[in-house]
Amino acid sequence: MDSFSRFSSQSNIYGLCQAGDQDLLAATLKGKVVCFKYQDVRQKIRPVAKEVQFTYIPVDAEIVSIDAFNKSPPNRGLVVGITFIKDSGDKASPFLNIYCDYEPGSEFNLESIAQSCLNLELQFTPFQLYHTEVQCADGYSETVFLLSGHDQRIHLYKENASLHQFEEHPVERLFPELQELPSNVLWLDVLGISGGRRLSAFGCQNGCVGLSLVEQTGPEVLQSWRLQQDSPISTVLLFPLRTRPEPEPNKTDKNSYSESYNLLLTSTVEVAVVYRDVQVCGMSQPVSLQESDQYDSVLCALVTDLDFDGHREILLGTYGQELLCYKFQQRSFKSPLLSITYLDLTGDGLRELAILTLKGLHILQHSLTWTADVVFECLTKRLALQYSEPVTHAATGQSSEECTDETTDRPDPETKEQDITGL
Amino acid sequence: MRSLSYVQRVSLDFSGTLFPHAICLGDADNDSLNELVVGDTNGKLLVYKNDESKPWITRSCVGMLTCVGVGDICNKGKNFVVAVGAEGWFHLFDLTSTATSKSETSSQQEALFWDDQKPCFTQHIPANTKVILISDIDGDGLSELVVGYTDRVVRAFRWEEPPDSTDLSCGQLVLLKKWLLEGQVDSLSVNPGPEGVPELMVSQPGCGYAILLCSWTQEGAAGPGEGTPATPGGESPSRDVILHVTTGRIHNKNVSTHLIGSISRGSKDESSKCGLFALCTLDGTLKLMDSSEQLLWSVQVDHQLFALQKLDVTGDGREEVVACAWDGQTYIIDHNRMVVRFQFDENVNAFCAGQYTCKDGRNSPCLVYVSFNHKIYVYWRVELERMEPTNLLRVLEERSGYRDLLERLGVDPDDTDAVRELVRDVLYGDTPPRSD
Repeated sequence: MDSFSRFSSQSNIYGLCQAGDQDLLAATLKGKVVCFKYQDVRQKIRPVAKEVQFTYIPVDAEIVSIDAFNKSPPNRGLVVGITFIKDSGDKASPFLNIYCDYEPGSEFNLESIAQSCLNLELQFTPFQLYHTEVQCADGYSETVFLLSGHDQRIHLYKENASLHQFEEHPVERLFPELQELPSNVLWLDVLGISGGRRLSAFGCQNGCVGLSLVEQTGPEVLQSWRLQQDSPISTVLLFPLRTRPEPEPNKTDKNSYSESYNLLLTSTVEVAVVYRDVQVCGMSQPVSLQESDQYDSVLCALVTDLDFDGHREILLGTYGQELLCYKFQQRSFKSPLLSITYLDLTGDGLRELAILTLKGLHILQHSLTWTADVVFECLTKRLALQYSEPVTHAATGQSSEECTDETTDRPDPETKEQDITGL
Repeated sequence: MRSLSYVQRVSLDFSGTLFPHAICLGDADNDSLNELVVGDTNGKLLVYKNDESKPWITRSCVGMLTCVGVGDICNKGKNFVVAVGAEGWFHLFDLTSTATSKSETSSQQEALFWDDQKPCFTQHIPANTKVILISDIDGDGLSELVVGYTDRVVRAFRWEEPPDSTDLSCGQLVLLKKWLLEGQVDSLSVNPGPEGVPELMVSQPGCGYAILLCSWTQEGAAGPGEGTPATPGGESPSRDVILHVTTGRIHNKNVSTHLIGSISRGSKDESSKCGLFALCTLDGTLKLMDSSEQLLWSVQVDHQLFALQKLDVTGDGREEVVACAWDGQTYIIDHNRMVVRFQFDENVNAFCAGQYTCKDGRNSPCLVYVSFNHKIYVYWRVELERMEPTNLLRVLEERSGYRDLLERLGVDPDDTDAVRELVRDVLYGDTPPRSD
């Protein structure tokens, strides 16, 4: 069920983002942005890749990064940010364009959003465009853009709702952990965790990795760690270990329930590493992902539960055209892998893997037959839990038995298993 | 149109040049696993096995090889490899003995094949060969050899040998019939006619085709020979050739056309009736028809299609139509006109598709591309779960008991948003993990 869309020019590691619920935006170097989605046409779904004409991107512009988010409630609307460099010969000038439509009814309409642009000239070469939610003073939360640049700083862009525009704010007021950086930041990740705290991690061009535990109110840096690697850091990714916090109704004590968080670190030369329990131990408990340095630089990473067994798998995309999956398998591609996301494009609740490569966009769908088996089995189990009457039990018991038969016949998708010991 | 990216491939070394019909997949050594047979313009026959980049066997033939084939041409219950040169030399190879160990072969066979390198049978047939077909064309249950020529002639031969003969040297190919066509013949195929009897079909320029009648079946005991001698002026084609033109947008009446018949419909009862066949032209027309001349679909593409094959990529027993263009664009189309395409990144010298044992010791559907830079690429993992893009909800809808299950869970099966939420919750939500 996989699909591939070839692009006219190459993209880069900042070139893919999810826009809205079921759309995917991919930016290519030559100033083109492609929107990929599955359209429902006469009871059938069709993959559609369509170029979106974002206004105020000159023809000679080269797109560096793209990002999009839905505004935090109660505000509504989709915001798309695109950074590009306009090279008019003598002097290259970088820009950040922010697209957002305030017209009621068209806040989520990509075509009309693409026409309403806020153009900001930058004083630095942009890198990753990232967004995260921050707690504002009045108790509301708001989503902001964070843009790293070659000036060894991270810049924050926040919406001014009354003026209908975005403005640059000093980053240290909301993100005290992101000031006085050791080098240019290539990748940044922020994760809100329990207890009103957040973890921030960044990876730099000179191999430096920073990690901070921050109290959101204040905000106040509680603890921070630094680490030096020998090569540029391509990705940092914070993730909880378990996919689903297991409900423990008997335990009311909040301290006994503490999720453990991990940091995945991929570097362009060295082996990818997962640091465990970072909220407590910092970067002192590394687990290296064996052989992840065997396929050229690791450029992108994703952590998600692909086989629905409740445990997450780590996906690494390499320039050596391999997609590595730890505790799973690996798959080869026709061109280097630049970026990965996992989202529901088909509108059925099941997410698809979108992989941006140098030559185009690949959509990998789960085996639908296999996933349908899993869903059927889970629903049957859920039904059995809901009804405790013996009569219903007998009926569901029978159907769940049929399902188990199917499970045994089902081919095991986990070939070439590469276990991460201790994770 | 959905595009795919296949990456699982092996590359085989091939330094020569070849004619487009000098490549085929088949079980050359009778081990039930298929090999790739290639003939080059220097008369070299190469047989590739598994994922070995070097040929498993090479043999030398006389002349430029224009077509190769694998089949039970002698009706002995085992496959031979056939290689035919442009100059008219017909070579027969028995590669079974090379697969089995020497101890298993009888002494008699050893005596017969004292030189492994030589073909076990050669015969001179009329020159200017272009394409061959080994198949039962007259419905007698025995294979015939059909040869298409560059001079618009098609000849059918039958292997005949004395009943008490023990080796191939006593047998020979006997001409059954010769047909003269109006246009160039690019493909030969057999397709079940409306009554289920096999019909010999050949492609004709301009997306046309002709059905060639096997008159010896009607004449009964009439001796074989030149059924319709070539008329010197070439004014009227034979009455044993029934020409069909297909309707639709044909830009060029002389455009080269390919044809493939006997496309499996999947279920046995249906396939015994009208046979399905496909046509493609160099200017990009693709058609699927049945033998009652009913058009199932027509597709127009902007690539120059030069090869047409059939292959079951979904594993449901129904064969998809596979067409390849010179620039590597490959179309896979199912019976419902669902198209997926794949771009092979080089220009293509020759193309074939079929079952081949590349890895894992079993036959699997493969796409084979001969490039212009001394390599043959075999894409060995081309299976698709399904042709049509779909989503999980549609797959679930097809399951029996699914709607009932949803209703008992208190979810309206027609409320897509609610069902989507339920699926999301089951797969990614805060439910206990699935126990395996």
